[in-house]
Amino acid sequence: MTTSSIYLPEMGRLVQVESMTTLEKLFTIELPGGQSLGHDPGQFVMVSVLGVGEAPISITSSPSRSNGSFELCIRRVGDVTNALHGMQAGATIGVRGPFGHGFPIEKMRGKDVLFAPGGLGLAPLRSLINQVIDERSSFGRVIVLYGAKRPNELLFRDELDEWIARDDVECHVTVDRGDETWDGHVGVITTLFPYVSINPRNTVAVTCGPPIMYRFVLMELLGKGIPETQIYLSLERRMKCGVGKCGHCQINDQYCCQEGPVFTYAQIKGVEEAL
Amino acid sequence: MDNGKPKVAFFDFACCEGCQLTVIDSLQTHLDLLDAIEIVQFREAMSEKGENYQIAFIEGSCTRQEDEERLHKIRDQADIVVALGACAHLGGINALKNLHPLEDVRKWVYGDKAAWYDTYPARPIGAVIEVDAFIPGCPIDREEFVRVVKALLLGTKPPIPDYPVCVECKLKENVCLFDLGKICLGPVTRAGCNAICPSYGAACEGCRGLIPNPNENAMKDVLAKAGLTVEEIMSRFTMFNTYQLQERMAEEE
Amino acid sequence: MSLWILDKGAVAPLVNALRADYRVIGPQAKGPKFVFDPIEDPAQLRLDYNTTILPPKKVLQPPEERLATFSMGSEPRVAPVVEAEPTVLLGVHTCDLHAIQLLDKVFSTDYPDAHYLERRQQTIIFSIECLEPCDEHSFCKSMGTLTAGEGYDVHLTDLGLAYAADVATEAGKALLTRYGTVREATDADVRRLNEVMGAKWPRFTYRLNFDAAELPALLSMAYDHPLWDELGERCYACGACTIVCPTCYCFNVFDETNMALTEGERWRRWDSCQLDEFARVAGGENFRAARAARQRHRFMRKGKYIYEKIGELGCVGCGRCIRACIPKINIVDGFNTIHGGG
Repeated sequence: MTTSSIYLPEMGRLVQVESMTTLEKLFTIELPGGQSLGHDPGQFVMVSVLGVGEAPISITSSPSRSNGSFELCIRRVGDVTNALHGMQAGATIGVRGPFGHGFPIEKMRGKDVLFAPGGLGLAPLRSLINQVIDERSSFGRVIVLYGAKRPNELLFRDELDEWIARDDVECHVTVDRGDETWDGHVGVITTLFPYVSINPRNTVAVTCGPPIMYRFVLMELLGKGIPETQIYLSLERRMKCGVGKCGHCQINDQYCCQEGPVFTYAQIKGVEEAL
Repeated sequence: MDNGKPKVAFFDFACCEGCQLTVIDSLQTHLDLLDAIEIVQFREAMSEKGENYQIAFIEGSCTRQEDEERLHKIRDQADIVVALGACAHLGGINALKNLHPLEDVRKWVYGDKAAWYDTYPARPIGAVIEVDAFIPGCPIDREEFVRVVKALLLGTKPPIPDYPVCVECKLKENVCLFDLGKICLGPVTRAGCNAICPSYGAACEGCRGLIPNPNENAMKDVLAKAGLTVEEIMSRFTMFNTYQLQERMAEEE
Repeated sequence: MSLWILDKGAVAPLVNALRADYRVIGPQAKGPKFVFDPIEDPAQLRLDYNTTILPPKKVLQPPEERLATFSMGSEPRVAPVVEAEPTVLLGVHTCDLHAIQLLDKVFSTDYPDAHYLERRQQTIIFSIECLEPCDEHSFCKSMGTLTAGEGYDVHLTDLGLAYAADVATEAGKALLTRYGTVREATDADVRRLNEVMGAKWPRFTYRLNFDAAELPALLSMAYDHPLWDELGERCYACGACTIVCPTCYCFNVFDETNMALTEGERWRRWDSCQLDEFARVAGGENFRAARAARQRHRFMRKGKYIYEKIGELGCVGCGRCIRACIPKINIVDGFNTIHGGG
């Protein structure tokens, strides 16, 4: 007889809350007894604010830098995320997971990896980017092409600067519209693609962003000749359980919370409900 | 003296005050409401009249020029304005008069004193001032009022359903009124009332307004197949939703 | 396991005896329809019912159920709530029995759902053979659910003055012998049972124009079929078809708090892929915004997606979705249209 419930969150503690933009904050969370979350890059957790509800959030820290905690980069967009934004370090939140299939890092070893996140899409990709950087010698070239709408919407600016400073990472950042603080590249993310030439057969591309961005980035990636099976996307869906039961996240026959949230382009190509 | 509780005021415009009666009702069944909020103005329940409030619940529709001024004053004071009930939320049955020449309406109601009374087409308060939340229904549902108060205290979006009454009616396992040969607006009307009318065998009349994305054509098809004339169909839809239907027709033109 | 005979006159005493130790739930009249509800008086039990408004899944996965209780504030605590009580579920038709077996699979695979499984474990099922179609909408014969070989504790077949009781589990046997008066079936009883079973099949006509086993393949070619737009025009998106479906199990989860915001409960409630909000994310994007796409999703789940996930078709042919649909969207017509090469 089992009385434990797959829907029961563990209580985690916010050890740090850091404002990133007007809309996003970075939350560092410890689980009870210092236990490790044990996640793969690209997986997500269900985060509870008891009384308000639960929402799926992708994990932004990389397993290689866990230090007994994990990080979530959260945009204030609904009741749960609004409530989280009102919380301070020391507060307690509910955590279930990690859930879903993340990025298959094993299939990326030995290959060049091209990351193309847009806006908040950097949050799930950062987990993989830092993992790849921490195991740098296992990979070929590492390219990051990041775009945001405005300079003040760029996430993880310190890390972007680190990546740019590294000799073994090719990192280019752009904003759709600049301002007086910005002396970098201006233009949508696809305007960065001409700057990098790649060997498509040996390249794995990883992208995440708003639906409209996917269409254009995919055109670029496919245009460069990267095979459909080597393009990975992380999709966002409404989720109420995270464990393949509640039905909200279904994309045709696939449960985003189980088969995803990471899919290859080959898996979702032509699937009307996917993008 | 400030006790930390949000200060709440109730106001009424053109209405029957039935929704405020429901509020009084819920204050009696949910005694903890008064532990959570402080009511500073509520004409129907108390004589005090505090003007320092954060949350304003407004019952009734706007039917006169001077109503507008009063609504703006409330809006200026309150952080949160909630439309309470069908008249404030939709215009409600008050808006039925909008289907007729106002001169006639005044004569029907006030007879030879018609000239003494000013009136113009009834509007929901949301047509005059910005509204932060609404509690639908004629009258409002007591439990829904309590849920909305909790949401306001928690700082979350009030949980007003966007789905039709059929959902709640089916969950209660009611015999569908269409199976009993009755005509019901449940398929296009916003839920949240726990299907109270169909549960007692009375057809839904749409007092909570149409759902955001109703399939009105399918509803009209079904009503026509049930033998209703166009006039009868329109009279079903206009009972509580005249203002919305007229607005939509105006937009389409 | 063994075949017993339960005289019809012995049903009421059995139900009364069971009520001392179990919650007894069975079909009973509600106006001109029937519903599964707790039996307070054996006279309420209507084993001759045609069909119920909601399927007996409501006993195993209630329309609303508590998942957890919690305290709020600076040191919030949460505790699971698994609510189950010993239950006897009487009079389950074989279509619904197949559906329960499907739910058993869904809730026990991958991440077992204790809330469902605990209730399921404490439920003893008396199913009953249908000897007549419940109405013109059932198509159980097409879906292979007109009879059942497993999934029940006791399976009843109406022999006229008595029920043949096929006892499949120890729990069923213990229940019948401890609480009821039964006798072992004689050769004559077995002959009578065979007669009854043989006579029933011709009364049920096939409703699909094709073999249901073809459904997954047919639907995989029908994603862009014009049928979906036609259904979208007629559909209210009221969710009735999925709420009454014995194999729909999707749910929403929400928190309720007390007025002081110091404690609360987490609940789940049946949800429907037919509703506007079902696939909308917090940011506003709705991945299944059109009614046509939502009807397609329902048909696909019933005829293809669930099959691909657990190896069983998601439709048992009970006909409830057809009965519940005010604009008369008919899943049999829909499947036949797709097969018809449209």
